[in-house]
Amino acid sequence: MRLRMHACMLAALLCVPALAVAQSRSMFSNLANPSIGMNALFTGQAARNLNQPYSLGFDEAEISLISVVDPYWTLTSNIVFLPDGTVDPEEIWARSTNIPSIQLKLGKIRGSFGKHGLLHTHGFPFIQAPIIMANTIGNEGFKDAGIEAAWLTPLPWFSELTGGVYQGIAADDEHPLDFGSTAHDNTPYLGHFKNQFDLNDATTLELGQSFLQGRGSDGLMHSALGGDLTVRNVPLKDSNRRGWILQGEYIQKGSSAGGYTKEQRGGYASFQYRLSQLWWAGVRGEQARDSFTDFLVDGAGAPVAGKVTRGSVDVMWAPSEFSFMRLEYSHAKADDGNGLEPSDDRIMLQISYTIGYHPAHAY
Amino acid sequence: MKSLIRCTGVSLLALLASVPALADLKVATSLTDLASVARFVGGKHVTAQSLCPGYSDPHFVPAKPSLMKAIQSADVFVSTGLELDGGWLPLVLPGSRNPRIQPGAKGFVDASDGVDVLEKPTGTVSRAAGDIHPLGNPHYYADPKNLEVVARHLADVFSRLDPTNAADYAANAKAFEARMEASLTKWQSQMAPYKGVSIVTYHPNFVYFADRFGLKLFGTVEPKPGIPPSPHYVNDLAESMKKSGVKVVVYQPYYNADAAKQVAKRAGGTAVEVATEAGGVPGTDDVFSKFDTLVATVAGALSGKPEAQR
Repeated sequence: MRLRMHACMLAALLCVPALAVAQSRSMFSNLANPSIGMNALFTGQAARNLNQPYSLGFDEAEISLISVVDPYWTLTSNIVFLPDGTVDPEEIWARSTNIPSIQLKLGKIRGSFGKHGLLHTHGFPFIQAPIIMANTIGNEGFKDAGIEAAWLTPLPWFSELTGGVYQGIAADDEHPLDFGSTAHDNTPYLGHFKNQFDLNDATTLELGQSFLQGRGSDGLMHSALGGDLTVRNVPLKDSNRRGWILQGEYIQKGSSAGGYTKEQRGGYASFQYRLSQLWWAGVRGEQARDSFTDFLVDGAGAPVAGKVTRGSVDVMWAPSEFSFMRLEYSHAKADDGNGLEPSDDRIMLQISYTIGYHPAHAY
Repeated sequence: MKSLIRCTGVSLLALLASVPALADLKVATSLTDLASVARFVGGKHVTAQSLCPGYSDPHFVPAKPSLMKAIQSADVFVSTGLELDGGWLPLVLPGSRNPRIQPGAKGFVDASDGVDVLEKPTGTVSRAAGDIHPLGNPHYYADPKNLEVVARHLADVFSRLDPTNAADYAANAKAFEARMEASLTKWQSQMAPYKGVSIVTYHPNFVYFADRFGLKLFGTVEPKPGIPPSPHYVNDLAESMKKSGVKVVVYQPYYNADAAKQVAKRAGGTAVEVATEAGGVPGTDDVFSKFDTLVATVAGALSGKPEAQR
């Protein structure tokens, strides 16, 4: 019996190297696998006007995959998992790498409109997006399937001209612009012009203009136009400890009803200051006209449009490149022009964690 | 009138003479050291510029659109490699819309190729150890011998892209290597009295320098790479330095000088600012003057007479 057991053990030991070799000689190499990263975002809110418990909630988890496709393209995808269990392929696009002076982006993309609209949720400088965003191009910018070409002009400074065309989609919570016409000539298009100047080694000035238009399900043309200005300072000797960003943006939504009709419009101005390697602080003022927001509701709880003014301050602690906590207070007041004038105060806490691949920091 | 024409003619000639000769290759780099080596190897056939100045942290270069513009027409891009520029280059390179210098193209150079990389992680790589570099320590340019590897590599690349001047590139690389070897002998004799002596650095970017010149690395002002020190940690580090007789703290111009000075003061030692990248401190315009200054500063601090040695 003992002899048989020893024989079995010896046979098993002899098999171990063979198994290891078999495992390492897989037909399928994983060396070209994409870089994988994930961000998890949690937000808590205490707002006395809202009928919600004061608690910390799960916001979203975003899985990013990025890799070179072949000598001509790279592919980026951001897949978002939401608290209600839905999965949103937020962005999946290919970028050309082989065309001189022009970069093509095609797939489901975040349209190159303005400044704030280009940010992912965990990249927002304040927990709440400016009110005007959700009222014009979308809380997280204009996201749609399409193709964009960005031309880096031969001017002596950074001057980029972008043109894009997109799939026509009807208005919903994420897309305030109605591009839902089924007419064959409905090809929503975008133009974006961005110029950046180095004022000195540390300070840059960036100016952007954007325009977006398409035909709605009502047959009218719907559009958004915007302008942005950013002055940014990053002292090169203290690039990881000091700096500030002064930014302003104006966006206006309109339609061709009766010539041109202004709809929601407004903007924000913000100032962010880096106190140290770990700490940032910021202040923002904003106004949105004829706009909707969560605390401007009638007696039945239905949203009402009005003028909304809000001020926010926040402080962020980032102990490493891969996590941060942000505390924000905002005070807002609204006026629907018919005697409804609610105000709102809220305190929010946001926590972000990133694992795996960490994309480069956009400027 | 005649004098006006003469004057204009002379001015135009002077203007033409002041325009630099058109180089055969336009080179851009992640680091000043790599631009300096490119200038030595390329000679008159090359212009080279670094996107990160020597006094700026090479980990955290702001990915300004103007950097994309600066390399729009470059023929060669020399990356430090080993992911040192991974926080900004993945935006700047594609943003340049220059197919000649994208990874995989003939004009893209990973300068770490051929370098004997130190501190390659073995086993599990975890960010519990801080913001580590999974491919190994990327600060190889702090060892003069590694710049000889870079010079040979650049000579090969330049020769492939500009075969007409291949002989010049090979000769320049050889001359660079000979000068570096001669300088290294001098620097090694300056550092010889301090073999085995321990120092503290701000970040683990002195590993290659210490390895070359026989210094021991006692610790870092950062508790872990990329993590700023807490007052408690500063105190603990200073106490252990005191117990072990470690007197010198070195830091680069882009690190928090206050923290480095505090550690040194509490340990009863000195903190000295050094440049590990050319241009980091005055008088370090190329890689030779960088090492001249670096060696003199470290040797001076270790001798106890930092000002006299500099």
